[in-house]
Amino acid sequence: MTRNSREHADSAHLHGMDRRSFLRLTTASALLLGINSRPADAAALKTAAHIVIAGGGLGGIALANRLSRELDGAKITILDRRPEHYYQPGYTLIGTGVWPRSKVVDAVAPLLPAGVNWVQEMVAEFDPVANSVTTDSGSKIRYDFLVVATGLHLDYAAIEGMDTTAIGREGLASVYNGPDGAVASWQAMAAFRDKGGEAIMTLPATPMKCAGAPLKTTFMLRDRLLKAGTLGKSNISFQSAQKNVFGVPRINEEVLTRWQALGIGVEFEHKLVGIDIGAHRARFVTPAGEKLERPYDFIHVVPPMRATDAVKKSALAWQTGPMAGGGWLEVDKETLQHKRFPNVFGVGDINGTPRGKTAATVKKSAPLVAANLIDVIAGRAPQLKFDGYTSCPLIVREGSALLIEFDYEGKLTPSLPMIDPLQESWFAWLMKVQLLKPAYFAVLKGRV
Amino acid sequence: MYEIWLAANILLELALMNWPLVLAYALVLALLLILALRARPLPWRRRLPVALVAGALVGILSMLSVPGLIGAQLSDLAYWVDWANLFAVSAGFGAAAAALAWPLAAWQGRERFE
Repeated sequence: MTRNSREHADSAHLHGMDRRSFLRLTTASALLLGINSRPADAAALKTAAHIVIAGGGLGGIALANRLSRELDGAKITILDRRPEHYYQPGYTLIGTGVWPRSKVVDAVAPLLPAGVNWVQEMVAEFDPVANSVTTDSGSKIRYDFLVVATGLHLDYAAIEGMDTTAIGREGLASVYNGPDGAVASWQAMAAFRDKGGEAIMTLPATPMKCAGAPLKTTFMLRDRLLKAGTLGKSNISFQSAQKNVFGVPRINEEVLTRWQALGIGVEFEHKLVGIDIGAHRARFVTPAGEKLERPYDFIHVVPPMRATDAVKKSALAWQTGPMAGGGWLEVDKETLQHKRFPNVFGVGDINGTPRGKTAATVKKSAPLVAANLIDVIAGRAPQLKFDGYTSCPLIVREGSALLIEFDYEGKLTPSLPMIDPLQESWFAWLMKVQLLKPAYFAVLKGRV
Repeated sequence: MYEIWLAANILLELALMNWPLVLAYALVLALLLILALRARPLPWRRRLPVALVAGALVGILSMLSVPGLIGAQLSDLAYWVDWANLFAVSAGFGAAAAALAWPLAAWQGRERFE
């Protein structure tokens, strides 16, 4: 992996002259401590290639920072309209009343490295045969290499009657629907907590990002009811559209055991297909076609998820197999290089690879994608292989969590082997509420 | 090795996220050091126990209050890893307090020392 020693000390949190001065001070301190002086394996690779990064989320920005540092002379273009970056791992904390909205919103501009061309438009079409993308304003941009980092599409429209503008009212919650959706979800949860009643928590049948979020929200709802003294007159029912509640068997068993002890009921293969928000009724369907209707006082809706329209409709999507239906990006699960277009790589939620993704997936895979892309630019075969690493601090109540890490195979892969991933701990809670956001920003800046 | 690199980056980002607090602490420490160094000679060694006691008190206070400050309770600490981390965090706060207390204590003891 080529790597130069130039580091950017830009911070998403620092704007203006006084902050810049402080930044210089801290950068100097960091240099003294050796933090900004990673060993340089080799000089940056010289290239005149044009690299387009489609998407300015965690994966896109991390790649922009890494590639701008590790390539000399490359033209890097990042496409994303949004001026704000959202720290999505914080949504469950907002949605359960732990964090305010302000903790997850930062400006994008200070996160981008100097010299990167930021086009504030979204990709509307990919044409990998012609090596070009078309933006939603109609501009065509040609590339030599492409990184697809668009994230995924929350398909609320697949649930009949669902209206995201109603989140926060009528007992309707959904922490996935951006920071405002998370804030509104907490309003709905707080109102329900005060009265108690019938709660329905859902899980879709599709691949999804942060598959732990529905579970955390369920654990936290019970904790909120317990602390408010309304648990006794409440019932929580988890309706999974799948045959489990989590794809990793050992974690699935652990959660189900805990829920049984906590009195949280679970029904499997119940897919949410419709909702009557005003009447507080949810409609489910089973694989046998049986239709069920359930009343609720509170419902947490987790939408089906699929690839963004631009990827789904393009030749970049899987054409056959289990990932084709959702239009996910057809990448090799180890190198994250496109299987048919070798000048294309994918990072983050859009990848049609096994296991749901989290920010931790990007933490492990973004450096690998950068290195493998540089290999391809240099005319070599990609060297590094991704094992599917994902992690999730699974909150079990306010103040305690499980720190679970796993790979493609579903094997538990704790970074610190002395820590039992199935032992609930305050340390995992500390990680979730205090330490993971700083780690996330180090990933964004391409340092870890 | 990677975990050490990651931990160093987390500490750097924490400092950047809390830069007003870090800056205020650094300024106060610098002021106290200037004050103390200008009044030499001072009984640094003799006043060290005072700083250590102040640091220990802050450390104990931190152990009792840090869990609550992040929405948890002391009863949530049920694993040795929890206690080890709480001890490390509290030791950090204690050390920071001792660093402030030492020049102050030495400066306060200057007359008797002279």
